[in-house]
Amino acid sequence: MTGRGTGGVDRRSVLRSAVAAGAVGATVAGAVSASAGTAAAGGAQPTGADSSTTEPSFHGVHQAGVLTDKQRCAAFVAFDVTAADRAGLTGLFRTLTTRLRFLATGGVPEPLGISAPPSDSGVLGPVLPTDGLTATLAVGSSLFDGRFGLSGHAPLRLRPMTAFADDELDPAWCQGDLLLQLCADNADTVAHALRDLAQHTRGAMQVRWRIDGFASPPRPSGTPRNLLGFRDGTANPDVTSARTMDQVVWVVPSLGEPAWATGGSYLAVRLIRMLVEFWDRVSLNEQERMFGRQKDSGAPLDGRVESDPPHYAADPTGDVIPMDSHMRLANPRGAGSDALRMLRRGYNYDRGTDGNGNLDMGLVFCSFQQDQDRQFVAVQKRLAGEPLVDYVTPFGGGYFFVLPGVRDGSDWFGSSLLT
Amino acid sequence: MLVGGVAALLAAGIGAVADGGGAGPAGASAAAVGAPGGGADADYSGLPHTAVQVSPGSCGVGWTRPAAGLQVFDLTDTGTAAEDAYLETTAGAVLAEVEGLAPGRTRPVPVRLGAGSYRFQCLPQDTDAVTGPTVTVTGGAGSGPAVVPVTQQDLIPPTLAYQAWVSRQLPSLIADVDTLRAAVDRGDLAAARAAWLPAHLDYERLGAAYGTFGDLDRSINGTTRGLPGGTADPGFTGFHRLEYGLWHGEPAGTLRPVAAQLATDVRTLQSSWAQAQMDPKDLGLRAHEIVENTIQFELTGRTDFGSASSLATARANLQGTAETLTLLRPLLQTRLPGLAQLDAAMAAADSELAGLGGVPLSGLPTGRRERLNAVFGQLVTELAPVAAICDVRRTS
Repeated sequence: MTGRGTGGVDRRSVLRSAVAAGAVGATVAGAVSASAGTAAAGGAQPTGADSSTTEPSFHGVHQAGVLTDKQRCAAFVAFDVTAADRAGLTGLFRTLTTRLRFLATGGVPEPLGISAPPSDSGVLGPVLPTDGLTATLAVGSSLFDGRFGLSGHAPLRLRPMTAFADDELDPAWCQGDLLLQLCADNADTVAHALRDLAQHTRGAMQVRWRIDGFASPPRPSGTPRNLLGFRDGTANPDVTSARTMDQVVWVVPSLGEPAWATGGSYLAVRLIRMLVEFWDRVSLNEQERMFGRQKDSGAPLDGRVESDPPHYAADPTGDVIPMDSHMRLANPRGAGSDALRMLRRGYNYDRGTDGNGNLDMGLVFCSFQQDQDRQFVAVQKRLAGEPLVDYVTPFGGGYFFVLPGVRDGSDWFGSSLLT
Repeated sequence: MLVGGVAALLAAGIGAVADGGGAGPAGASAAAVGAPGGGADADYSGLPHTAVQVSPGSCGVGWTRPAAGLQVFDLTDTGTAAEDAYLETTAGAVLAEVEGLAPGRTRPVPVRLGAGSYRFQCLPQDTDAVTGPTVTVTGGAGSGPAVVPVTQQDLIPPTLAYQAWVSRQLPSLIADVDTLRAAVDRGDLAAARAAWLPAHLDYERLGAAYGTFGDLDRSINGTTRGLPGGTADPGFTGFHRLEYGLWHGEPAGTLRPVAAQLATDVRTLQSSWAQAQMDPKDLGLRAHEIVENTIQFELTGRTDFGSASSLATARANLQGTAETLTLLRPLLQTRLPGLAQLDAAMAAADSELAGLGGVPLSGLPTGRRERLNAVFGQLVTELAPVAAICDVRRTS
């Protein structure tokens, strides 16, 4: 029984004292889920009212790091596979499984005596904590070229990301044979995991691009804010509903995907630079009309609180919530809008400054969906030309497919694909 | 020669947990493992602990309840001198080591034990080694890796052979440098550019990683690192200074004194090498440091001052590494289970370079560059245990 501590210091101390007092579980979790319900925000965000007080499990039908409450720190690392053949790829997936199983479980790194340098960097101390670590492994369409005998086995809708109308994609920041999403409650845990994987996979894969992200705590409550100051992820579907997740996130047999892909999910990653200094020189009214929400509370422009639904029927010409606002374009809440829903699980990034001395920060947009075209691509097309595009520059990312989960101690990543 | 720094690194690795003090028994704080902010894991809470004495008079005392599995020995130097200590099999293969344990201090040493017979060996500073009682462990799923220590005596023959090998390379280095110098002297800069590469590769083949040749290496093969004036700094000399000049249109007159100094330096190298005594511990370090240097300086293009010959240099470095491995092979054969993988990684790196030919590093497309980085990354991974195993240890 350990607290994941996604809500920051306050929540940790609350949990610790609860544990110390023996009031583990029911009281804390009960109080927490009651408040989570009112947020109507779904689970994939580091709300202070985090209903999960258990470590994410490494084993399962689905991978962790998708429905898992968003941890505070993340790294998104795209790799190209350099292994020579199918056996090499299989070895790589087995190695990744072994290492990530250990890292996600914690414990004492294997002592190697005088036979080698230490098996662990020691960055997390002599006994590895789990620290909420999740590793989510996804594959890109390039893995299904001829190198590994996988052509013809790709998920139906998997392809390279092509530029949308307002993109400025840099090929060096796009795609990859694999994408690994590492998330944990602290940055040293993320860095430690990546270092461990690098040590064990140097010959078999090489980093193509990498970006680190952070999730903000609720300010002051509700869904965390992005670096434009607006709450991001408010209308996420309910991750606690298995039925909803089977309609939104997970690949199910009825979608006609290859059998091995069942239990997986499409992952769209978009690296979106936000021109935050430009944004800060824009009036509040204009900012709010671009999003369709109030900046302070996150409420729709026609509502009072974040969880209020917008009433588009009462505002057919967009006098209150502009027709081209981000919120209204993305989800018009009409017939068929349900099919567009996806699970957003993005992270803020901050990469210092660019060559002109301007602040280089933005969003690692991340969405999980069972049908890339029906959900992510359709929404993205609806957003074409929205006023917000003047303030953001998508420059990288890619389309990936999250492999089904590692079921148990003898299973491994990609076993359904490679055997 | 770099001795102190790397030795300290190795020692730090061995004693990864510095000074556990009164590392107590496991139990109370086990629940804190994995908890945010739960700090009581520095004593390996959750693992069985055994307190064992390390001293000439009580070597191994305290190990009364042998058990299989992952566990921690809290070793206390109960003598009056600093001690090294091994936990070893009765065949003398070491599973765990503590180095330089101070009198009165305790350090936790984690180890995995399977069925077998083990003992402690205590090696007090300046005194003969003492062996503790043999302890038999039953059950368990296998032990951690055990390696018979490499001694100074073991390393002297290959070290002498390595010195002799370097000596045999030096005449062709001198001859090729003289060819280079002659071309510069007569103002034939095209010939000088052609002569520069073979001479430089002669030197790179020697495996001069981490100052094997001391200050002379700086003069012969230094870069602009640490030079306030950069490429214009008077301290910038040797191969890379010539390279910079030859590939940046400098006149022969500017380069003549540089070539002359280089010719002098390689002769000084030859005479000083004949008298040098290489520290036996350096051979194992050399085996992995050469390629570490290749990755750091050649595969990044950092040492390219115009000739675009980084990949050729990398191949010369591999040849130098291969020589160290050839000489260490008799010691590694029984100690390095990954020797076959190491051989394969050496072959893969060489084959990748051979396949690339003489192309400039900067011209490699992403995929080729990734493959190159992958084979070298795998190679240094396989080489890392060589230095650890070939560290000089006492056995008596």
